Amino acid sequence: MNMESNSHPGYYGKLLEVNLSTGEIKKSNLSKQILKDYLGGRGLGTKLLFDRLPNPGVDAFSPENVLLFMPGPFSGLPLPSSSRTCVVTKSPRTSPLKSPYPKASTISYSNIGGFFGPELRFAGYDGLAITGKAAKPVYLYICDDIVEIRDASQYWGMGTEELETRLTQDLGSASFRSCYIGPAAEKLVPLSSVLNTAARAAGRGGTGAVMGSKMLKAVCVHGTGIPNIADPILFNELLEKTRNSFAQDTPSRQWWRAEGTTGALEASSKSGTQAVKNYSEGTFSEIQKIGTGASRKEIWKRDFGCYCCNLACKKSGIAKGAYGNIVHDGPEYETGSMLGANLLIGDLAGLTKCIGIADDLGLDIISAGNIIGFLMEAYDKKLIDKAFLDGIDLTWGNVDSTIALLRKMGANEGVGKVANQGVKKLAEVIGKDSSHFAIHVKGHELAGWNVHKELQELGISYATANRGACHMNGGFATSQNNSTITDSLGICNFVGEWYVNDISFVNIMSAITGTSWSEGELQKAGERIYNIEKMFNYREGFRREDDNLPERFFTDAYTAGPAKGIKVDRTKFEQMLDVYYDSRGWDKISSRPKPEKLMELNLGYLTHIS
Amino acid sequence: MEKEDKQASRREFLRNIAYGAGGFLLTSAVGIAWNIEKDDRKVKVVVVDFTKCTGCRTCETVCSGYHHKQTFGTTTIPGLVNPYKGNILVHHFTPDIDVTLVCSHCKDAPCIAACPVTPDLITGHKALYRDAETGCPTNDTDRCLGCRECARACRNIRTGTIRPNAETHKPEGICDQCNGNLQCVKYCPFKALEYKEVDYERAYAGMSPEEIGKRLIRQFYS
Repeated sequence: MNMESNSHPGYYGKLLEVNLSTGEIKKSNLSKQILKDYLGGRGLGTKLLFDRLPNPGVDAFSPENVLLFMPGPFSGLPLPSSSRTCVVTKSPRTSPLKSPYPKASTISYSNIGGFFGPELRFAGYDGLAITGKAAKPVYLYICDDIVEIRDASQYWGMGTEELETRLTQDLGSASFRSCYIGPAAEKLVPLSSVLNTAARAAGRGGTGAVMGSKMLKAVCVHGTGIPNIADPILFNELLEKTRNSFAQDTPSRQWWRAEGTTGALEASSKSGTQAVKNYSEGTFSEIQKIGTGASRKEIWKRDFGCYCCNLACKKSGIAKGAYGNIVHDGPEYETGSMLGANLLIGDLAGLTKCIGIADDLGLDIISAGNIIGFLMEAYDKKLIDKAFLDGIDLTWGNVDSTIALLRKMGANEGVGKVANQGVKKLAEVIGKDSSHFAIHVKGHELAGWNVHKELQELGISYATANRGACHMNGGFATSQNNSTITDSLGICNFVGEWYVNDISFVNIMSAITGTSWSEGELQKAGERIYNIEKMFNYREGFRREDDNLPERFFTDAYTAGPAKGIKVDRTKFEQMLDVYYDSRGWDKISSRPKPEKLMELNLGYLTHIS
Repeated sequence: MEKEDKQASRREFLRNIAYGAGGFLLTSAVGIAWNIEKDDRKVKVVVVDFTKCTGCRTCETVCSGYHHKQTFGTTTIPGLVNPYKGNILVHHFTPDIDVTLVCSHCKDAPCIAACPVTPDLITGHKALYRDAETGCPTNDTDRCLGCRECARACRNIRTGTIRPNAETHKPEGICDQCNGNLQCVKYCPFKALEYKEVDYERAYAGMSPEEIGKRLIRQFYS
């Protein structure tokens, strides 16, 4: 079963390609070279997207755009926390300051946990690429070799909560794993996500909206195989070593298991790094009402986790109170920050209600919370009135108004429609200098971490991320390359560090693929992927000016907390950017990767892009 | 005499009704699939603590690996096999509930009852029979017809853990307790699995994943 001759140990060398316009389904070959250079996941997805979009300026909602579901070489193997899939496409969210292309946008990549990626690999594929647009709502059915485009009219309009149950019932087996969109994505709400188990999301970057633009409601997959690997004996040793290592009850692991990311809510607020009141503050005075202590007491009933993960960072439960019984998971750091602290909402039941609604609609909760916070500030400053908000009294901390606005956004109606364009466009619509507090980079909203105190770690991360503002990017080239590698292997970011320190990715890669991987080669692959993303963006028209931070950070200091009085120094930021570009081998004026760097990474064929 | 007999049999009749009714009530409340009779027998099985299980499916991977070992020269290691090929399965429901199931060791073994193969004159075994030591339903593949009646019985009235093999149709998925070296118990990262002696009449015994799921959803989310 494993020692058969296999030209791609660790992989199938197969990409499942579906054209929803023509109905064509094919299984293309992936060369050994492309797999070696781009690993899988985010890396392979970007490379495939770039190859399939030879011209810049493609409309993200056009049938031409490609939507990719990319597990990694670790996916499907029983390695701890090997649950992740990267959804890759051209972004419907981002835009440059200047470009000859009206529909210019960046690459978009978003990671999702659960069980989908491993299942796609069980079915015999290293990835799934979807182009075109169906004439009516469809879903994709994949069961090993059997691949069918099926009618989804009975599911169109369905929220993710109901859809998860219905799909399991209708497919007749709980062993199908599905990724799907909610009703928001069907209406092309740009900040729509792709969800799995109604509790996990490829949240950022509008991947769900692209899926909706293709009239694709769900992808359902079941597989009975498993990838072949090169050296089963060595792999088994490493697997045992990894399991033993991860079983050690370190304080860090204990924290993850007990609190998930929720624990960071109080810690972040305390240290002044939280998104509070549309990023005008870094500390939330009521954070303990929505943190771990309160959640454990009032909501949480059980821990649950993704494939082969021993952290189980997700916590589900039932919130009771003024909003009825809400059964859902969370709050997590981002959902608690963006719909909680950022909106000054300290009502835990109300917050859970908002999270549940946003998940059921299939919205990016990070962007939604950011947008609502922006509108709360605009309303507070009387730059917009109730009429603009369709009668919603959007005051700070107002749960009912937040719910009403979320519903409008999910329905893409009225004020929801303009809100869905994101804070960058909203500020243009509202004018009156509101762009000052539109907290985005390249049109993509910032997440729950505020910048003032952590300019390198967070400021550079947000400013330079290839998908627009991203808190997972990293503040240095090396940390960015590392998170790129993790995103390309199918491993959860939360355990990446332990793999690197305790086992090393290269040892596992060598055992799986049969080729000897060195740390240097793996780092280089990460760097290559990051650079090809950058070249994709550069080709669209993104320049140094787009690697910027919101105006607010340079002028508005916090009035409270440990970061009180701190402002980001513009000169310092530009200096950090200079150092960053130097470390990357990129031109300091344009941010373009220099030809020598591209050559070094075997990306010489991109040097013509100017 | 006749009147006494009639009274005795009437008492017996009423007692049986009471047992049946009480058994039914107790069955539904505690969650057992079969009717209760007075029975002190114990059974040693894998027991799942649903308050600790997180649905990670590590158990599936180590079970399937252990039962499909690979040998290279003198080295034997667990196989790398699709996790659905093991004898333990995690059923995920929404709202988030994970029902992890192995063979329940049903006291009345409807799987064995359904096997149509004539019992061996010496051993008394049909093709599917209880292992004398472990009590695990065990299949003699030489005598098994591949009729799938055992799987049907298991699926229709119990856990549904028995799976007919896609090619041979012979039953698979029945926990054999790994020769006492329980892999799932060893590797569960949350210590949610225990191999221990329990009453036949225990919570969730012989129940389908959907039934258990319903109960757990009520238990956790109400």
